[in-house]
Amino acid sequence: MNKAEFIKGLEEELELEITLTAETDLKGLDEWDSMAAMLLIGYVSNEFGLTLTADDIKNISTVQSLIERIGVEKFN
Amino acid sequence: MKNVLVTGATSGIGKATCNSLLNEGYRVFALGRDVEKIKDLLDQFSEQLHFLAIDLNSYQEYTKIFDEFLSGQKLDGLVHCAGMEETLPINLYTPEAVQRIFNINVFSGIELMRFFAKKKYSNEGAGVVFLASVMATLGQAGKTGYCASKSAILGMVKSLALELAKRKIRVNAISPGVVNTPMTQKLFSQIEEDNIERIKNMHPLGIGEVEDVTPTILFLLSEGSKWITGQNFIIDGGYSIQ
Ligand SMILES: NC(=O)c1ccc[n+]([C@@H]2O[C@H](COP(=O)([O-])OP(=O)(O)OC[C@H]3O[C@@H](n4cnc5c(N)ncnc54)[C@H](OP(=O)(O)O)[C@@H]3O)[C@@H](O)[C@H]2O)c1
Repeated sequence: MNKAEFIKGLEEELELEITLTAETDLKGLDEWDSMAAMLLIGYVSNEFGLTLTADDIKNISTVQSLIERIGVEKFN
Repeated sequence: MKNVLVTGATSGIGKATCNSLLNEGYRVFALGRDVEKIKDLLDQFSEQLHFLAIDLNSYQEYTKIFDEFLSGQKLDGLVHCAGMEETLPINLYTPEAVQRIFNINVFSGIELMRFFAKKKYSNEGAGVVFLASVMATLGQAGKTGYCASKSAILGMVKSLALELAKRKIRVNAISPGVVNTPMTQKLFSQIEEDNIERIKNMHPLGIGEVEDVTPTILFLLSEGSKWITGQNFIIDGGYSIQ
């Protein structure tokens, strides 16, 4: 999966009204709540087999920071 | 000496159950995947404790348990502790994900019972205990798979209790609230501090330890419970009465 596909997939899972980019601040989204966090964790776990912790969620801001937490090398 | 088969024996409630059974003089046939996690008990109880590493999702391997591992001994009890927990919103619950949680939480239990029910593998009057959860009767966001699988256990327990009554085999479930085990530690690592506090506060007697759960399991395997079957025992520090 490349970065663009990941971002598009995340946009769909979170059912966003806006177009997500690497610079979007996830927590600034109207749709951001505990359920969105749960969806994000599930999406990343399904796609990368990585379970994000509560601390990870706390530290993530933009989509790019999420990608860095997952590991840039995992995207082709 | 009475023989009991325990699944999920390498961790949490299953391992604590093994420990209590061994101390009460039972012979324990323990199943799990990672032998390292039960090494201490194997060293301490080398005569009484037998261990088989098996992935319980591999149903075709079950004859190994009953035809080889038990080496002709009949069981007086079965405690099915192996299970998984997960938080996954409905949008992500694909048929594969549903299958995965039902495989270990439900279907493995039914398959174990298909063998256990046979006269050659179990004694009359044996006791069976399934691990359900308070989540079998309550709901929580993100727990569709877990709640559905634990509810399924309650249905299965009642049917099996009726079916096996003619052999005086009793089948019951216990439903713990949040108990401090590796499963709970993993869950807590995924949620925020104030959420953890909230969960703790929802248990009037605080969250449980494995020792709060094992005495009921041992009771349900013992003579004293010979007229109890098809029931669900909620052990949750008061969580579900609010
Ligand atoms: N802890 C709680 O708060 C709580 C509350 C209510 C109900 N329960 C239920 O109680 C049971 C035990 O929970 P626990 O907290 O003791 O869990 P745990 O510490 O996570 O232990 C789970 C056990 O299941 C085994 N297991 C999992 N998948 C398996 C597979 N495919 N094949 C073979 N063994 C497998 C594991 O073996 P390996 O580690 O060797 O892989 C481990 O021994 C579960 O059914 C759980 O749903 C727990």
